[in-house]
Amino acid sequence: MTQAIKIDNLKYNYNNDQVLFDGFNLTIDSGQWVALVGHNGSGKSTLAKLILGLIAANSGNIDVFGERLTVDTVHHVREQIGMVFQNPDNQFVGATVADDVAFGLENKQIPSVEMPRMIDEALSIVGMLDFKDREPHMLSGGQKQRVALASVLALQPKIIILDEATAMLDPDGRATIMHTLQDLKARFGHDITFVTITHDMDEAILADRVVVINDGQLILDGTPANVFSQYDVIHNNGLELPFAGELAEKLDAKPKSYLDERELIQWLSRLNK
Amino acid sequence: MAITFEQVNFSYGAGTTLAQRVLHDITVDMPTGKVTAIVGQTGSGKSTLIQHINGLLKPTSGQIRIDDFELTASTKEKELVNLRQKVGIVFQFPENQLFANTVLEDVMYAPLNFGATKDAAKLEAARALNRVGVSEDLWGKSPFELSGGQMRRVAMAGTLASNPSVVVMDEPAAGLDPKGQTELLSIVLELKKLGKTIIFISHQMDHVVAVADQVVVMNEGRVVAKETPRQLFNRELSWFQTMKLDLPKAGQLAEKLKDKGVTLSRRPLDLGELAELINQEVGHE
Repeated sequence: MTQAIKIDNLKYNYNNDQVLFDGFNLTIDSGQWVALVGHNGSGKSTLAKLILGLIAANSGNIDVFGERLTVDTVHHVREQIGMVFQNPDNQFVGATVADDVAFGLENKQIPSVEMPRMIDEALSIVGMLDFKDREPHMLSGGQKQRVALASVLALQPKIIILDEATAMLDPDGRATIMHTLQDLKARFGHDITFVTITHDMDEAILADRVVVINDGQLILDGTPANVFSQYDVIHNNGLELPFAGELAEKLDAKPKSYLDERELIQWLSRLNK
Repeated sequence: MAITFEQVNFSYGAGTTLAQRVLHDITVDMPTGKVTAIVGQTGSGKSTLIQHINGLLKPTSGQIRIDDFELTASTKEKELVNLRQKVGIVFQFPENQLFANTVLEDVMYAPLNFGATKDAAKLEAARALNRVGVSEDLWGKSPFELSGGQMRRVAMAGTLASNPSVVVMDEPAAGLDPKGQTELLSIVLELKKLGKTIIFISHQMDHVVAVADQVVVMNEGRVVAKETPRQLFNRELSWFQTMKLDLPKAGQLAEKLKDKGVTLSRRPLDLGELAELINQEVGHE
């Protein structure tokens, strides 16, 4: 399988003295949806910035689709990666929703005749086409983040990184973003690689693979079911299991292995018969 | 300090042709020393309501009593200074409002502004920082060097430093990791122990259950319910759908269990209660 991101022996210090990453390795296959989880300050957002070349590592290599990230390649590497940040209010430049999506296309020097089609397509994928003439600041948080996602999608990236993109949203907004991501996954399949950075395990559970990091170290790496069966490790690293996992831990009669919510409910209903 | 809204109406652009009524005939009280949660979908008037508590907005008609202070449409701006010293507001994502060079200076800003001497302001700031658990070795640092959870607490200390008896918070624990959320909610309970009257807005029903004594539900600018979390979350499911409100996670899971034929004797408020009910009631027939 093609490797979308390969991080090899990465070393990075904060403020030149505090060690964060000391020989960090991670490979993400093309088409995978990886949830990168860790508590506030665990290094997960720094890792995203390193991948984008927004900050430079002290040593080690980052390859994006086989291309080594260097001063010379950074622009080309970034063209393949779309990023959605945490604060929905900090990423708007356009006077209307459509203008905002157009901004990225203009930067990429897309011929203006092609833009309206590309804008409409991107907005319709995230379910925001009806809002194209609205002013971004009139939208709810969840709608703003969907527009941010459309702006990224219009540029047809191979990788999309969402850095706590739902942390500032209310439960409704959070749910719409997660649904949108699942739609994208169903639509683009292996053509887009997702990296969602989060500390919300009910979100992480939607990914193909969960990577837990803390203090710049890789703590756990596996399928959601594998990772979430490590109750103590998760808690010792300042995190919690998805709600159903926390519940299972508190039951007198515990299921033998980790169950997600649907499975746990089924298990409990059988127990009752 | 008890807060009482009496027949409060509020319109943006009152008296113009563009007048837009946001609050309708609000009569509600928020008792001294209790935690009142205000919930309701986006646009229901929650933020407009809390901005009346320290006079950032004045009612178009009706009045709000905050202890012995009476806020009406005709209250003068300069009368509000006293009120604002008694009522502190912590806005959503308050860490975005940090600005000073050091943590300590940032927190000293409010007391200085209210006329405290530098020494007195320092004392108040130190007390507020200790209260929210920001350790002394961070006081000399730039607030921008701190983690998200620490920044949030520094911003809260900034509001607490003027020693308000009413603390109003908009989504105090949103966006933090699980540990940070738990810590923030325990600060809310600490403040309650100090006798402060606390009002907070939240979309997270689990946070409401964790700290609130009473819940005020807003819908389209009206108060549609005011009761304890236990009473509220026992209402019919259809009511929550109409109000576009969530149940706490434990209640949501209990409803899903019910759909699969596992009916618990009551709707649980939190994880502990849900586990307890399942342990007692499931699989023992």
